[in-house]
Amino acid sequence: MNAATDRLQATWSDPPGFIGWLTTVDHKRVARRYIATALGFFVLAGLLALAMRTQLAVSENSLIGPDLYNQMFSLHGSAMMFLFAVPVMEAVAVYVVPLMVGTRNISFPRLNAFSYWVYLFGGIMIFVAFFMDVGPEAGWSGYVPLSSSDFSPGKRTDFWAQMITFTEVAALCVAVEIIATVMTMRAPGMTLARIPLFVWAMLVTSFMIVFAMPAVMLSSSFLISDRLVGTQFYNAAEGGDPLLWQHLFWFFGHPEVYIIFMPALGMISSIVETFARRPIFGYVPMVLALVATGFLAFGLWVHHMFATGLPPMGNSFYTAASMLIAVPAGVQIFCWIATLATGRLHLRVALLHVIGFFALFVLGGLTGVMLASVPLDLQVHDTYFVVAHFHYVLIGGAVFPLVGALYYWFPKISGRMLSERMGRWQFWLFFVGFNVTFFPMHYLGLIGMPRRVYTYPAGMGWDLYNFISTVGSYMIAASVLLLVINIARSLRKGEAAPADPWGSPDLSWAVSSPPPSYNFAHIPVVTGRHPLWADDNATPEPRLPVAEGVREDRREVLLTTPVDATPCCRWALPDPSIWPFWSALAITVLFVWSIFDQWGIVWGAIPLAITLTIWFWPKRSDPSLKHDEDEHTDEGRDDGEPRHAA
Amino acid sequence: MSSRCRVELVALVTAMALIASGCDRERRAYHQAPEGTNPGPALTDFQPGSPQPKVASAIGQQYQQNAYHITQGGRLYRWFNCNGCHNNGGGGIGPALMDDQWRYGGSIDQIHSSIIEGRPNGMPAWHGKLTDMQAWQIAAYVRAMSGNVSKAAAPSRREGLAATPPFTQVPEQPPRGSEASAQSPPPQ
Repeated sequence: MNAATDRLQATWSDPPGFIGWLTTVDHKRVARRYIATALGFFVLAGLLALAMRTQLAVSENSLIGPDLYNQMFSLHGSAMMFLFAVPVMEAVAVYVVPLMVGTRNISFPRLNAFSYWVYLFGGIMIFVAFFMDVGPEAGWSGYVPLSSSDFSPGKRTDFWAQMITFTEVAALCVAVEIIATVMTMRAPGMTLARIPLFVWAMLVTSFMIVFAMPAVMLSSSFLISDRLVGTQFYNAAEGGDPLLWQHLFWFFGHPEVYIIFMPALGMISSIVETFARRPIFGYVPMVLALVATGFLAFGLWVHHMFATGLPPMGNSFYTAASMLIAVPAGVQIFCWIATLATGRLHLRVALLHVIGFFALFVLGGLTGVMLASVPLDLQVHDTYFVVAHFHYVLIGGAVFPLVGALYYWFPKISGRMLSERMGRWQFWLFFVGFNVTFFPMHYLGLIGMPRRVYTYPAGMGWDLYNFISTVGSYMIAASVLLLVINIARSLRKGEAAPADPWGSPDLSWAVSSPPPSYNFAHIPVVTGRHPLWADDNATPEPRLPVAEGVREDRREVLLTTPVDATPCCRWALPDPSIWPFWSALAITVLFVWSIFDQWGIVWGAIPLAITLTIWFWPKRSDPSLKHDEDEHTDEGRDDGEPRHAA
Repeated sequence: MSSRCRVELVALVTAMALIASGCDRERRAYHQAPEGTNPGPALTDFQPGSPQPKVASAIGQQYQQNAYHITQGGRLYRWFNCNGCHNNGGGGIGPALMDDQWRYGGSIDQIHSSIIEGRPNGMPAWHGKLTDMQAWQIAAYVRAMSGNVSKAAAPSRREGLAATPPFTQVPEQPPRGSEASAQSPPPQ
């Protein structure tokens, strides 16, 4: 610890205590609580699933009534999609991306803090609503007219629609931050062709969020105004169109699947590269596959709507587009297999999860190709076959890589190692339990069991498979419990983690575990695709070139050009502030108020405007605005020329 | 750590308090046991001797605060052809229901009793045709027509042609005459 790092520490650390906790804009702290909150919602939504499986274990069960069951499956789906899957992927990115690109904080750090509070308040709102019998009840896709005032009376669906608005605001904030961080804050020398694949995946994901999320915010705002002030957007009799909802929803909803899945692809690439001890096979095709998936994902939403009676020409087009997306997915899978086949495998728990992903995702992909063909889709529409399919692709495709990534990055985040022995138990319990739960659902769907039913009569031939499925769901629950115990145990007395426990190639492992508040004592300079590897055999690189000339007495980072990452200027990031928190609270008041009264939007905008104004008002006392009086003396050193650290 | 625990504790206590208070507005009772005999609300202000305090039944209050019952009442309103005479509340053969004028009282007890017992000049007695619960639901819907239910429970636009503004936007028109005097003694 020398004088320079002391100064950095003084500049970048948060105020102590509760105020520091509330005002922090450190991407690592925000991401940590983002991840913890998302995992909390995952557990809550999982408990709902467990309750539903218990209800369905035997026929004509009366444990949960139809009304509560409707709310449970709707909240399960909504919470898993909106409060867990998208936020947790973004949260991991908020933690890892700034480290991977070698900078000191995420861009727009206050927006980042704001995003977390909005997300948290939205999540709390929907669960409090659920416990007050105002939970969502029209499914996670909220189709009109089922979700209209006629068929979903009261405020249940309004809370659901507003929960979507909350989480989408939060997601859009993070997407913008990640795009800006990747485009402008990469370490000098990290050209587009040297970005780690996880960062590429998050960049494409963030662009997808920017294009997809407004569609669902629009549709949910139309819905809430139909329900509150009686607009006719979705009323066929008055010239509205119920299909408008489905188009808007699935224009978001299908890219959403890839928004969840694509960060997982990036995680897999990181894990595979590290544990195969060689550079990824086919970096360029991998990047092109990511980008192609990002584009294609917007061209196939109508395959969710085959049963609505669209023209056959349209159906054929979307069938073709749906099958086309198997091509980039296949390219990536074969690249990973080639990497694994030619690498020297270290079969750790993180890699186990990735291998589990291969098995499950290929199965889910196969049923996906089946569902993409119109005749079969019409047969199994709204049956358990669909439930089986999307759990295979979502849990197999996103949750398995995510848990693997948790094992992979946990040492970096917490400074402690997770137990590998417990991890292996957890993995096998999860893998077996998952298949026991969801594989029978394929068969249940094919023999005609509809989804979203709270019970079924005896003698349909469904009893045994439902019972098996319920047994499997308890195995998954046991596995999640093991994971929670593993995390809790190693947070208390886990083995301390070195800076780079796995011998990974990217910059995030160049800093200590957990990283200091300023991330990098010197801004690193990148000369290849794998800054921490000296050669293609994963030999550790002893010396990392660094750039100097970034000020230590204010929160300054180095901005670089988008393509070549040549340094262009120094930029001061803002300091901790309480105002993102108050703004989030004000926007919460506005959103909840607007559920009950349209004037809430008008009057609620006043406190929001006040908080935002104070947030953005430049204050002379801000260290980030400190006058640059020693500009001239710094000028000569601000060329970003690589220098070797001692 | 301790500060974080404190925040969580406060949130937990708040949430528990909210849950304990419950939310009757959203409860869905699909089946209900018969309520017993309705005492029969007074239909006019005239009464012998000194004014007697009138008690509104708690049953009616429950129905007109519950979103599901009001919406279900709207469905029944059309299924039992109430709109055949009253139209969508504007009146036709029968009197209008969306204004503040009531011949036999505009409280939910009085409307319920008008539905069950029938009234002279054409209003049939629905006793034996509707369950008691259904009569209460229709009565709650009729109250919503003149904006006399909670806005948080009122239904918005229907799926279908819009004949009236959505009830969430109808200004509240308390019944003139009978109910006002039924709730409070007339001025001396």
